[in-house]
Amino acid sequence: MGLISGMLMGIVFGIALMAGWQHMMRYRSNKRIAKAVDIKSLSSLNRDDLKKICGENFPEWISFPVFEQVKWLNKQLSKLWPFVADAAEAIIKDSVEPLLEEYRPPGITSMKFSKLSLGTVAPKIEGIRVQSLKKGQITMDIDLRWGGDPSIILAIEAALVASIPIQLKDLKVFTVVRAIFQLAEEIPCISAVVVALLAEPKPRIDYTLKAIGGSLTAIPGLSDMIDDTVTSIITDMLQWPHRIVVPIGGIPVDTSELELKPQGKIKITVLRANNLKNKELIGKSDPYAVVYIRPLFKVKTKVIENNLNPVWNQTFELIAEDKETQSLIIEVFDQDVGQDERLGIAKLPLIELEAGNSKEIELRLLPSLDMLKIKDKKDRGTLTIQVFYRQFNEEEQLAALEEEKRILEERKKLKEAGVIGSTMDALDGAASLVGSGVGMVGTGIGAGVGVVGSGLGAFGSGLSKAGKFMGRTITGQSNASKRSGSSTPVNSVQENGGAKPL
Amino acid sequence: MGFFSTILGFCGFGVGISTGLVIGYYLFIYFQPCDVKNPVIRPLAEQDSQSLQRLLHEIPLWVKNPDYDRIDWLNKFLEVMWPFLDKAICKTAKNIANPIIAEQIPKYKIESVEFEELTLGSLPPTFQGMKVFVTEEKELIMEPTLKWAGNPNVTLGIKAFGLKATVQVVDLQIFAQPRITLKPLVPSFPCFAKIVVSLMEKPHVDFGLNVVGADLMSIPGLYRFVQELIKDQVANMYLWPKTLEVEILDPTKAMKRPVGILHVKVLRAMKLRKKDLLGASDPYVKLKITESKAPSKKTAVKHKNLNPEWNEEFSIVVKDPESRALELIVYDWEQVGKHDKMGTNVVPLKELTPDEPKVMTLDLLKNLNQNDAQDDKFRGQLVLELTYKPFKEEDMSKDLDNPLQKAPEETPPGGGVLVVVVHEAQDVEGKHHNNPYVRIIFKGEERKTKQVKKNRDPRWEEEFTFMLEEPPLKEKLHVEVLSTSTRIGLLHPKETLGYVNISLADVVNNKRINEKYHLIDSKNGKIQIELQWRTSS
Repeated sequence: MGLISGMLMGIVFGIALMAGWQHMMRYRSNKRIAKAVDIKSLSSLNRDDLKKICGENFPEWISFPVFEQVKWLNKQLSKLWPFVADAAEAIIKDSVEPLLEEYRPPGITSMKFSKLSLGTVAPKIEGIRVQSLKKGQITMDIDLRWGGDPSIILAIEAALVASIPIQLKDLKVFTVVRAIFQLAEEIPCISAVVVALLAEPKPRIDYTLKAIGGSLTAIPGLSDMIDDTVTSIITDMLQWPHRIVVPIGGIPVDTSELELKPQGKIKITVLRANNLKNKELIGKSDPYAVVYIRPLFKVKTKVIENNLNPVWNQTFELIAEDKETQSLIIEVFDQDVGQDERLGIAKLPLIELEAGNSKEIELRLLPSLDMLKIKDKKDRGTLTIQVFYRQFNEEEQLAALEEEKRILEERKKLKEAGVIGSTMDALDGAASLVGSGVGMVGTGIGAGVGVVGSGLGAFGSGLSKAGKFMGRTITGQSNASKRSGSSTPVNSVQENGGAKPL
Repeated sequence: MGFFSTILGFCGFGVGISTGLVIGYYLFIYFQPCDVKNPVIRPLAEQDSQSLQRLLHEIPLWVKNPDYDRIDWLNKFLEVMWPFLDKAICKTAKNIANPIIAEQIPKYKIESVEFEELTLGSLPPTFQGMKVFVTEEKELIMEPTLKWAGNPNVTLGIKAFGLKATVQVVDLQIFAQPRITLKPLVPSFPCFAKIVVSLMEKPHVDFGLNVVGADLMSIPGLYRFVQELIKDQVANMYLWPKTLEVEILDPTKAMKRPVGILHVKVLRAMKLRKKDLLGASDPYVKLKITESKAPSKKTAVKHKNLNPEWNEEFSIVVKDPESRALELIVYDWEQVGKHDKMGTNVVPLKELTPDEPKVMTLDLLKNLNQNDAQDDKFRGQLVLELTYKPFKEEDMSKDLDNPLQKAPEETPPGGGVLVVVVHEAQDVEGKHHNNPYVRIIFKGEERKTKQVKKNRDPRWEEEFTFMLEEPPLKEKLHVEVLSTSTRIGLLHPKETLGYVNISLADVVNNKRINEKYHLIDSKNGKIQIELQWRTSS
């Protein structure tokens, strides 16, 4: 009797014990999961959430801007800055000097840093935004502002003149840096970082140029040449869709996906222009058009003399890398003995084009692409072009990439051999890349040579602008926008030898 | 009889309870799902007030405290990265653990141990706020609040004696408040030499440990005991002021400290080329280390001499003998106008054997640019004697470990050395010009820093030492920020941008004080001065 009742009691007790344990397990497990859920849901709050939690007593100091503020990072950065500045100087010098060399305009024979110190004021990060636009990638946008006091002295050598030290003063940089992290399934989990400056809002780099122990006017157009170099580097290297891809050590990964690659071909026929402005005192303008997507690859039409309604009817082919963000830029110039003057500029965003469809478009010529600062609303005529866009297939893409590399290589060689002044001016190369085109510009070999020779030609970039050195703004848009940003072309004939470096 | 039945009852109870436990185990626990589900996260907007009430307990610190910064962008970053991190970490963990397991199991007569499941789950750690501290020292301090309430699943399958058991860790939760200090700051990337981590509070750890499906941590009392054990263990190792240090850079190299002294004896030059139209040139030699910011040293000018003998000795501090070189330029002195360069050459420091004097005869070149068309004209020769003396290893490491150095041996007993380091100033404003430098006056002795041009927030980082017979208990140090015009002119002469008198008794007691002082006679000006009192004992 005792045995059975004991056993019964034991069984009941044992089962109860297990039931209790199970109950405890479930309770604790639920509690942990609930906590995990709570913490997760609190990890990214927005205004409405917080309003709901806090009700009446919403903390005043909290706001939710699109770009999240990072005061703590700024505090740390300003503390760290003297050390960063020290460490970065050598690196910047080593990495930027070759760039300057590649992009320098034909008028300058050498451009080097003779002094580079980043100053005492740290850049400020206005905000950070993190998005995941594509699977396996994190896109981080950093709103960066730097009104620093760096001391940058460029030693510039131009033909005929020995080295002139030029100081870059009052540098201000406002830009949004986009960093894309390509994720990988191996530590450190990031296989490559892509860095670029966002095109929208446009990067703004302001600075003042000052010649030390002399005057900038010693070399006419020098400041414009420097501006052009800086703008070209920015628009052609850094500004989205152009980018810098940095593979992060350790993980063998194919970064070619991330690189900017030729995406398609644009066949553009520059048909005619109407009602161009007359810039000549005697006779009419001698217009020609320059067409490009990247400033490194420019093509040019022939010059039609003494005509305000020129018909060129010339066809070129250009490579597009990123249809979504790139634009076709067409500038019309008046050929002149001295400085060629711009009659107008037009921009056609490639996104407006349909692939495989030929289209005739009439564009209004503007004094500048940066209309914010230009008051001149006068009509500058129109330009008619025919555009045809074709997407590359993979093979063509590779071929185009190779071709592009080859051309740049070749130009570099030419430059070393001294045939042309700069990588920037060999339009013929670009033209031959795409088969057709009558491009023949360039200080070294182009129009200006016959007159004064390349030496003086170097100086030709515009006496008209010699007076305006201060307070220039470069909006990273194009060479051309800058050019008229600093000087509105109102002057007429100039008795200045040499051609205009493009 | 009653006794007998009681015994039987007990036995029955014993048998019963074990049967009961087994039945209970199969009834309630065995069929419990062992897999870890992803919890459903509902948006806050949908939650009722009751669950919101529960949330309040976990509200991030940046909501509550204005001194914490929100770093939700980092949370977002981590969230996107988490699946990748999860795989990477698990893969690495497996690779590390497997050999260790293989080595250990034969000892315990276990057939095999393997990971049946290893994942960190879908929930990433979250930062609930970031606080940073700014001190006068060369360090960055930040305190993120880290909460990881994850749903990892780590299942170990153990086979022994033909039986198989599983051990599973689930629902790991770790809440910690680490303090991350980056120090010292150094002028080479990544700009700090060490990461020092310590926990400001005991961390909270919670998890479920399922052995054969039953969660041991739910046994009342055991959980608390284990939690306390873990907390204490971790606290013993990393609770502030105990730290975990990770060295990133070798501080000696990173600091770019001097590593040796180069003794240069400029003996003579021979057959220099004539530069002056009338009579011979007046040569002198300038020496410096390439890319160093220190001013170059000069010999005396030997007038009207193309074969001058100087026999002058110089000592130059060397920071990086591997990549630097000694640069020598011979100039022609002129009464008026620019001094002409007569020739130049360099001696790479790595060519020198330490502690061994070497006499060198150098041909003078027009310039150092290799690419430039050299004109081969003979410009004369320069004879030097060079000795490179590296500092001893011990001296240097001693320096680093202890920021408070001892006074040199020749200090008088009872006395010591007062070191004044002028770091930087902020918001110093002059009426007409802003080219500040600092003058410090102590016992009538005056020292000056270099002038920083056109700067409201100048940095000097200069060190001055005063040798004293006795501790300066009653003395004061006068620190003054001055500005002079860069142009020569009597219009706006020297002006004072502010001054401060620092009593030195505190320094003697504290050995070292590093503080920002408000400047008197200045609007908002502040100056950071570090004072040290070094004694020989």
